[in-house]
Amino acid sequence: MLEQTFAATQIGFPILSILIFLPLVGAMLIWMLKSDELLVRIAGIAVTGIELALTVWLLFAFKTHTAAMQFVEQVDWIPAIGVSYHLGIDGISVLFLGVTALLSLLTMLFSWDLAIEKIKGYVMALLALQATVMGILVSLDLVLFFVFWELMLIPSYFLIKLWGAGKIREHAALKYVLYTLTGSMLMLVGIIILDLNYQEVNGIHSFDLLALLTAPMSADKQLLVFLLLFFGFAAKAPIFPFHAWLADALVSGPVAVSVALAGIKLGTYGFIRFSIPLLPDASRALLVPLSVLSLVGIIYGAFVALAQSDLRRLLAFSSISHLGFVVLGLFTLNFHGLQGGLLQMINLAFTTAGLFFIAGFLYSRGLQDDLTRYGGLVTPMPALAGFFIVIGLASVGFPGTNGFVGEFLILLGAFKAHWAFGAVGVLGVILGLAYILWYYERAMLAPPQETVIRDHRGNERPVSTLRDLNPREWVIATSLTIMIFWIGLYPAPFFDMMDASVQAVVDRVDHSTRFAMSSVSREALP
Amino acid sequence: MNFTLSLSGADLLLLLPEIFLTIWICMLLVVDAVPSRVSKRVIGKLSIAGLSATLVALFWFYINGKTGTLFNGMYVLDPMAIYFKIFIVASTILVVSMSIESVERFPAFRGEYYFLVLMSALGAMLMASANDLVSIFVTLEFTTFGFYILVAYLREDPKSNEAGLKFFILGAFTAGILAFGISLIYGATGKLILTDIAQVMGEPSVALIAGFLLLFAALGFKIGAVPLHAWIPDVYHGAPTPVTAFLSVAPKGAALAIMLRVFFVTLAGFTAEWIWLLVLVAIVSMTYGNIVAIAQSNMKRLLAYSGIAQIGNVVIGLAAASKMGGESIMFYLWAYLFANLGAFAVVIAVAHVINSEEIEDYSGLNRRSPFLAFAMLLFLLSLAGVPPLAGFIAKLYIFMAAMKAGLITLVVIGLVNVVISMYYYLIVVKKMYINEPTDPSPVTVSPTMTATISVAMAGTLILGIWPKPFLDWTVSATQIFSHLNIVTTTQSLTLPFGG
Repeated sequence: MLEQTFAATQIGFPILSILIFLPLVGAMLIWMLKSDELLVRIAGIAVTGIELALTVWLLFAFKTHTAAMQFVEQVDWIPAIGVSYHLGIDGISVLFLGVTALLSLLTMLFSWDLAIEKIKGYVMALLALQATVMGILVSLDLVLFFVFWELMLIPSYFLIKLWGAGKIREHAALKYVLYTLTGSMLMLVGIIILDLNYQEVNGIHSFDLLALLTAPMSADKQLLVFLLLFFGFAAKAPIFPFHAWLADALVSGPVAVSVALAGIKLGTYGFIRFSIPLLPDASRALLVPLSVLSLVGIIYGAFVALAQSDLRRLLAFSSISHLGFVVLGLFTLNFHGLQGGLLQMINLAFTTAGLFFIAGFLYSRGLQDDLTRYGGLVTPMPALAGFFIVIGLASVGFPGTNGFVGEFLILLGAFKAHWAFGAVGVLGVILGLAYILWYYERAMLAPPQETVIRDHRGNERPVSTLRDLNPREWVIATSLTIMIFWIGLYPAPFFDMMDASVQAVVDRVDHSTRFAMSSVSREALP
Repeated sequence: MNFTLSLSGADLLLLLPEIFLTIWICMLLVVDAVPSRVSKRVIGKLSIAGLSATLVALFWFYINGKTGTLFNGMYVLDPMAIYFKIFIVASTILVVSMSIESVERFPAFRGEYYFLVLMSALGAMLMASANDLVSIFVTLEFTTFGFYILVAYLREDPKSNEAGLKFFILGAFTAGILAFGISLIYGATGKLILTDIAQVMGEPSVALIAGFLLLFAALGFKIGAVPLHAWIPDVYHGAPTPVTAFLSVAPKGAALAIMLRVFFVTLAGFTAEWIWLLVLVAIVSMTYGNIVAIAQSNMKRLLAYSGIAQIGNVVIGLAAASKMGGESIMFYLWAYLFANLGAFAVVIAVAHVINSEEIEDYSGLNRRSPFLAFAMLLFLLSLAGVPPLAGFIAKLYIFMAAMKAGLITLVVIGLVNVVISMYYYLIVVKKMYINEPTDPSPVTVSPTMTATISVAMAGTLILGIWPKPFLDWTVSATQIFSHLNIVTTTQSLTLPFGG
């Protein structure tokens, strides 16, 4: 079993529980507040601000160069079936916490001056969403993980449905819930099989990740569980071909949900957290089909993105393409690939979310979905256009930005696995550059076509009167840009945090033959 | 058979809760009949008081480990019987407290309503203890008898009359089937007591198989499992809503107690022969209930079909044929009790103000009464099995039990059904939260209803967040099924249908 450092000895208080429940408590307090809009908005920023401060503290207290689980809390929850309240983080999950906390605060800042109906419910739903995401990231018990995984649907459903803008938002919200629910139901079967396998070996039930890692499992059972978990994670991520809900949800939901759903890559997090370490034989056996699937996703997403004229739809499909890269990296199952895949998930949180914020800035100025109708938007909004191109290039892996580091490592890993994977992957990078630059050119640089914008109330005004970024928007864009260049130019601190844990995963996949293989289908595997 | 009946004081003590409740019911009838015209509300409150006292007595039995058998083994008081009795009494308390206001709107016989409800509850309590074929028949009919009247309680309402007649004819028919089944089993074995039958049963004859099938049909009718569900939607729809709520929980729980005894004790040696039957019933019930529920426009009918699907889930636990299966069923029933009774309580509270049970009229409920809308949201999500509510733990437990028995295909079908059910529950949620109300006037809720709904909400939340005490209790109450464990652990995981 992996080494564990308990929160009590490491930081002195149960910080992970606080990270989960602080937003929930905040949401409840806000519910009790009088309906003073300003107060509600301030409270939202305060809660997410405290959350971010706590997370930064945690990042400093986090011990690098170790694969141990840290800040662990463990209490029995349902002992009859071996479920415990077990929290902990290691190099794989720690950075996600920082990303979630930062994006939550930025989302609150972004929503600050938007005219939002029922602002109280909106802020509460955002906080609840943050709490469930935190819960997903720190759970080490699979049932607990599943609880948060399912709970996340509720605030997202309401956010898309109540505060979305698109005409098809009701349809989109339901589609999102049913897609991910179907996946997670299959995942639940997989989780139960993991437990029953453990019970067959040890005689007691357990859903504890660290305990389950010790139970040997036959290769055919691993394949079954892998596929079941795969449906859950793939539908949430979503990776090709489970992506049908994504574009609708991202286009018709509010920007805040787009940032959370596309920015925090929970589906692929599930792969590296659970699938690969728990099912190393199955992961190896499925290396080729998964790599091919991810390459198809990369190319497909990029080609569909090329054809879009709606920015958010383009971002949705580029997101599918990016997730293809992440999965490609993870399932090379070598150190560079896994490291790159993990780092790329963090990167995408800044770049994809950043582009969604940019899209949000544009729409909050009354621009229609199809930006290519206007052209020449750089003239009234030079700063916005500048951030757009910086974040956009980072998202497709331009050298000097974070995306380059991630994609480089992924492609390095892919070439090591098989030269053809790497070759097709590179093609994806080129297509990525093409869709982002072409769209940018049409929307921002091309000679102006339509010079009047008509907002949803029917008011008209000339494009030339659009104002550039306001101070709050500067803060959002700058903080993301700082992260982009920090990881792009000096990624060492991030690697220090994740390396030992990534190495532990690699070891597990390499040496799994020693304790996880049954004699039955050893030959059946490639 | 030599039948000597001797009763000592200690024996009578085992019947104390039932005896007390009987006396209390008679007293209620007297109070109702005295000419001073006591307010009917008082009778309702007295009913709750009597039931609460019964509940206390049952808890006392549980804590002190009082067990025993009576009447030559016809009547058994074991931890499982106490468990089910507590379940029945708890559900009756909730039903009575949500009835109090509805009763005041009844055209006539307001006092007798409580009498009938309590009589049925008493019958259901006896069902939980029934340990032989005769007592199964007697207690089952005893319970149903009160319902024949209760379902048709709204004399002026043709729907209620229709429901009453349907329920009566089908119920009487079922009684015949049950009696026929019992006679076949008795004819084949010469025994009546469930444990005795298990001992003398060698290679089952055709008559015996037919007998058990008929017994299963009669019990399946009570719990409303497909293909014996046909009465449910119409009766649920036509009956007064509190009666529907009662009908949907207490008798089903009691019938499941009998089913557990029949399948897990009497037929424990023949699991391989009956598992497929239950697997089929579970699949058909879940799928039929959930798919038909999508098309409903009336809240009570929606809950009726969702109830059929919920029973399908319960039957999964039965099909698991293990102690864990028994535990999961019994825990599931509690989750179902709080969520289902809570949902019906919301339906009652809404109907008091807007006089409608159509789903369309729930539009914008959140604007009109945030409390009711939130409560309904909680209950529906619990019925759908969303964590961290009671329904999630219950479903997880049932699916785990079934997986352990090797019924993977069944579990996958069950989970697909969860998704389907989520669809129509979300449609209601959408109506309540997204749609604009046609009439924005607030829906006021009386203190009694608020209290009832709050209790159901608390139950739904506590069972989901801190289920440990309940599960411990359930595990200790199912000791009589320990013999089943040996069978299941040897089964392999990957068999599609087990057996």
